[in-house]
Amino acid sequence: MNRTRLKPRTLVGAVAVIALTALSLQGCAVVNGSGDDPNTLRVMMGADTTYPEERKQWQQDTAAEFKRTTGADIQWETYSSAQEELTAIQTSVISGQGPDVYAIGTTFTPTAYATGAFVEMGAKEWKAIGGKDQFDPASFGISGPSDSQQIGIPFASRPFVMAVNKNLLAKAGITDMPTTWDELTEDAKATTGDGRHGMAIAYADGFDPWKFVWGMAQNAGNTIVSTDGKAEIDSDAVANAYRTYFDWVTKDGVVDKAAIGWNNAQALAQFTEGKAAFFPMTTTTAINSFTDTKVDGKYEFALLPTVPPGASERPADGIEAASILSGDNWVVADYGTKQDLSFDFVKQLSAPKAQLEYYDLFGNLPTNADAAAQLAADNPQLKPIIDAGRLSKPTAFTGAWSDIQLALVDVVVQSIPSLKGGEVTDDQLRARLEAAQRDAQSTLDRQKNGGL
Amino acid sequence: MTSTQTRPRTDAAPPRPVRPAGKTPLYKKERPLWMLIPGGVLMLAVIVVPLLVGFFIAMLDLDQYTLRQWFSAPFVGFANFTEAFTNSPLLHSIWISVSLSVLVTAVTVPIGVAAAISTQNRFPGRGLVRSIYLIPYVLPAFVVGTFFRTMLQPQGVVNSILHTDVLWLNGSASYWALAGVMIWTSWPFVYLLSLAGLQAVDNEVHEAAALDGVTWWAKLRYIIFPYLRGPLSLAVIIAILHNINNFTLPFVLFGIPLPSSVEVMPVLTYIASFQSFRFGLSAAMAICSLVIVAIPLFVYLRAVKLDTGDDAGPNRKQRRADRATLAAAPTAADIDGARA
Repeated sequence: MNRTRLKPRTLVGAVAVIALTALSLQGCAVVNGSGDDPNTLRVMMGADTTYPEERKQWQQDTAAEFKRTTGADIQWETYSSAQEELTAIQTSVISGQGPDVYAIGTTFTPTAYATGAFVEMGAKEWKAIGGKDQFDPASFGISGPSDSQQIGIPFASRPFVMAVNKNLLAKAGITDMPTTWDELTEDAKATTGDGRHGMAIAYADGFDPWKFVWGMAQNAGNTIVSTDGKAEIDSDAVANAYRTYFDWVTKDGVVDKAAIGWNNAQALAQFTEGKAAFFPMTTTTAINSFTDTKVDGKYEFALLPTVPPGASERPADGIEAASILSGDNWVVADYGTKQDLSFDFVKQLSAPKAQLEYYDLFGNLPTNADAAAQLAADNPQLKPIIDAGRLSKPTAFTGAWSDIQLALVDVVVQSIPSLKGGEVTDDQLRARLEAAQRDAQSTLDRQKNGGL
Repeated sequence: MTSTQTRPRTDAAPPRPVRPAGKTPLYKKERPLWMLIPGGVLMLAVIVVPLLVGFFIAMLDLDQYTLRQWFSAPFVGFANFTEAFTNSPLLHSIWISVSLSVLVTAVTVPIGVAAAISTQNRFPGRGLVRSIYLIPYVLPAFVVGTFFRTMLQPQGVVNSILHTDVLWLNGSASYWALAGVMIWTSWPFVYLLSLAGLQAVDNEVHEAAALDGVTWWAKLRYIIFPYLRGPLSLAVIIAILHNINNFTLPFVLFGIPLPSSVEVMPVLTYIASFQSFRFGLSAAMAICSLVIVAIPLFVYLRAVKLDTGDDAGPNRKQRRADRATLAAAPTAADIDGARA
């Protein structure tokens, strides 16, 4: 009888095939995961790169509490960018299966609404999460197109404010916080010198620039998108906003020239090194980043100005918008079969205790009214931020907003070489505003269902 | 039980096999074509069906509003293609992508060949040098992009070393920055294929050249380069395709929106899809990209005749030549007659 011996190569090949098969099967198991398990809730939320350990611990604690109260498990899934978030939603919307609950950014809520894939909250649904009146009314600004058509359940608030270096202001003899954009520019000039700059700005950031322009335009009464769906970018108010924003680095000299290549983290670094007096466009999530730096104990928060550039008081039609309405909303997928569990989950995290814990860990302000009141009472230094939350205004509730936001940022991106050259001419600015106007209007014109 | 067949020995050259007229050639006979079915089904499922779906989507007005019922989204025919060419930066992005690709490939080929030749002869530490050469290729593109993004900042390492104040990540210099980073990451691929080509050069050829006292340039020009022609052609075509399709590097280096001087096709398609949610338009752009990419691929396939089925049998030209030879060749009877 012949005895066949396995050659080493055959053996290695066989092991490789078995390993690959096992991995594939495991992969399938992960992909399918709890999709069909009625006792496991799939929750998708953005990854937290600033506090990853805290996020992990929070997820474990939340899942344990959920298990205790409902007997069900939670499977956490994360996305690291808005694009990844959309891809997950796209796949789920088309296939009719995927995460049961999503935490989405407020500015993404209109796009999510446009897909029609999320539960519109009615009396029954609000009751299931513990009632609508538990939330701060201001936090519903971007939950849906109207009070009766809402998909977003407010979860966290991150209004934008200025961080201010008190020492640098005191050295310059500034005692009151600026309330107009012109005052801010003047105060920044007064604090510039000795290797320091008045403001830390991130011109190359993918998000910051449009928020400045949006805020200044709102203060002048321009909402970027009118109520009848017309883009209002190619206007004096928006041009004035861009001009002010550009002049800080080209003309006023209150911003480090290197800032034309910075993102928000680099601007924050300049502030924490004590080299900038004002750090506009930051949120409470930056508090931990200020700890143990040169500005620890020397900074405070202040409202962003609400009077438009070139004016000493807000015009009659100007909007007192201190910040965009920023934060996270929960949305519940309507294709899922675990909606009761989904609402139980949202109810758990809407309670004051859970909201305050979330603030302690991540610096996001509560949307629960009682929790917010308690936080304000316990932390007087947070008053400007809580005020900013109250004065936050939503961006236009349209599925076209993402494109409009991109058009606003693109004006800055394409102007950066000119910023480096020291001047963005009026002709250049006008041409870019016209291009942005065309893009935005074209997007608005393509809207279906009235943009919803 | 096995049987052994022995060919009759003759002093004369063996006659060419004669195929009776009208009979099916061996390479066409009894081919087990059914064995292609699994591969065919796989190809259908993995390539053909998604491609057809892509074509279908390119003809729909598919966006965030119609995504959920995507199959019944408004049919717009070729409107997305028209818009892509007339009312989007597609043509500009094609120019950017193709020019970058050609530039990067043209620079990486000599670098890759030189690197391969430099490590052809044995020397202490050759393995280490070869490994180091591969580092840019094995690093994930995302990591490379992040490194270079940091180094190319206005106050970054690159400007410090060069004593310059160039804005590498925006404006016209961003084109050269992207080209430089692409060159850095892609030359090892040309090096690898060149190295494979060099391994194919027989030692006898080197010895013969040495015996004949051939100069290094003549050896390179008339011996080495002809051997490298095949692998290098493959390297060039794959490098061009890879460079045209490079998404990660520009995306990580510049973010979104891109400076207009580096508005490459893959990122433009991505923005249309995931920023503007114009899935129909982006599918049309992707198909245009496919056509652009298919041109050099087609040229290459024609050049190397990979599609002629040489493995199955001789090509038409060869078969015609064979038939002519057969007709002119003496038959076995002729040979026997001549011997007699």
